[in-house]
Amino acid sequence: MNAGRARTWRAAALFALFPLLALLASVLAREKPWVETKTGETIVRAPVPFDPDAADLDRRLQPPSWKHLFGTDELGRDVLARTLHGARVSVAAGLLASALALFLGAGLGAVAGWAGGAADRGVLFLVNVVQALPALVLVVTAASFLPPSFLVAAVLIALTGWTDTARIVRAEAKKIREAPFVDAARAAGASAPRLVLVHVLPHALPPAVALLPYVLGAAVLTEAALSFLGLGAPPPDASWGRALAEARNLLPGAWWCVLPPAAALFLLVLSARRLGDAAASRDVQSPSP
Amino acid sequence: MLRFVLKRAASALLTLLGVLALVFGLLAAAPGDPAAMAAKAGARASAVSPEALAAFRTLYGLNRPPLERFGIWIVRAARFDFGISLSDGRPVGERISGALPATVTLNLAALLAALALGVPAGIAAARRPGGRLDRISGTLGDALFATPSFVLGLVLLLVFSGWLRLTPLFSDGGGFRGYVLPVVTLALPTAAFLARFVRSCVASALADPAAAAGRARGEGSGAAVRRALRRSAAPFAAMGAALVPSLVAGSVLVERVFSLPGAGGLLADAVFARDLPTVLALTLLSAGCVVAAAFLADVVSAVLDPRTRDAAAPLAPAGEAA
Repeated sequence: MNAGRARTWRAAALFALFPLLALLASVLAREKPWVETKTGETIVRAPVPFDPDAADLDRRLQPPSWKHLFGTDELGRDVLARTLHGARVSVAAGLLASALALFLGAGLGAVAGWAGGAADRGVLFLVNVVQALPALVLVVTAASFLPPSFLVAAVLIALTGWTDTARIVRAEAKKIREAPFVDAARAAGASAPRLVLVHVLPHALPPAVALLPYVLGAAVLTEAALSFLGLGAPPPDASWGRALAEARNLLPGAWWCVLPPAAALFLLVLSARRLGDAAASRDVQSPSP
Repeated sequence: MLRFVLKRAASALLTLLGVLALVFGLLAAAPGDPAAMAAKAGARASAVSPEALAAFRTLYGLNRPPLERFGIWIVRAARFDFGISLSDGRPVGERISGALPATVTLNLAALLAALALGVPAGIAAARRPGGRLDRISGTLGDALFATPSFVLGLVLLLVFSGWLRLTPLFSDGGGFRGYVLPVVTLALPTAAFLARFVRSCVASALADPAAAAGRARGEGSGAAVRRALRRSAAPFAAMGAALVPSLVAGSVLVERVFSLPGAGGLLADAVFARDLPTVLALTLLSAGCVVAAAFLADVVSAVLDPRTRDAAAPLAPAGEAA
């Protein structure tokens, strides 16, 4: 139990690092010094004193050095600065898409579980339809006919990611519907929306929240895949998926362009899954085999 | 039994129809004119005249109402006629059948490799839960499972093609050696998933009273493992179906990473060219694979375990995105 708790904290700490980096990226990696004199002389420089979008064609594809710890890319941009800034796209896409997916899945699941009948069958059919297409195929298909933007990508990912949440909330809502306290509330004259929102949903949510880290990990992966295919947030914003696509064309040279975004993506997804495993082992429901 | 199969087949077809309606609806609701977009994606710099656009719309039936287009498309698709590609004017069916051999080879080889690797690893881990082998394969499996296929592919490409120069950098026309890395990339996460699944099946079967009775009769642990595997045949079928979406999505990315000329690469290309007929046909193909796999899994588990016939069998859990 104690070891399990320590693991949970480690997973949570590793995971929390990424939103933190995303928030601090523009402070940690910027050309402008932290402290400077009035005449513009640097007193304290930023830890990574490069603008992520600043191209420097004289310093293209430099291997790692003390100046550029992770080297520079095709346009002479600092890879470390771009990797730090790339966290913003991945983290934001993951958080936004999983929050939307929770909202959608919990709403549809609660209505289906509560109402039963035609509404239930309709929602289950929708779940089956959405799950019959690999998320990536559906998102890629839809993204091809929409303007490439971060928001579009996040919404599309959410539209494919809500199904497991809906299944779980539906099953919970079905159980809770029969609980005595719901009968009591109904007898006291509560309306149907109030019953669902106040009495059923809060009890049906915990397993769905425990699922959230997995949904988030999957959303981060889909966003990176979308960017890798060139369908994510448009350039010049740094994103790990696109950085990997650019690095692919530079192989066999420029290994320093491949490893940082690859490692960052791997660690973010791994920590999200670890957090999910930890949450699942404490909770009643384990979502995936 | 026949009734069960027919019912499942009907619901599978309905699901497929739902998928098509969803995709068609999305495309119809999307802003922008497919003719103009295809023209923009295909034209070099010159503007396309309004007359040419109108002719293009008539040729592809884009001026009809969406519902009518959907109906026509379904009727044609039922006869394997997917229309003409907007990007090179060839029939879509011909383009896809040209790309399929590479994809089928990739997926089958990856599946076989994953089975050969994952099942023995899972059994070995289950024999000593908490042992060294179990912990190592658990950690490795966790890590592999969290690795996006294209990231794994890029790192393998960097090491084996970039540094060691054992495999080609681009797989198109690379022959056998060109397939090695894509297959490994697709197989490793699948093997990790399989190993974990087999481990939990076998471990729980080895811990139950039937296994204890077997031991009391003097059976070796090999027999117990065999019996455990046979008992988990039904969940195994369901798990096989769950692997299909992740293989399909994985091959889109893996083919792109290794520039393997398969259906996944074709989808990515068609998406860029805004080639609607090709995109739709490939969507149908991948949804068809997933639905067919789920249907087969239902039938197989109904044959193996009659109890599942009455239950409202849930579709396999969603696979990973990539």
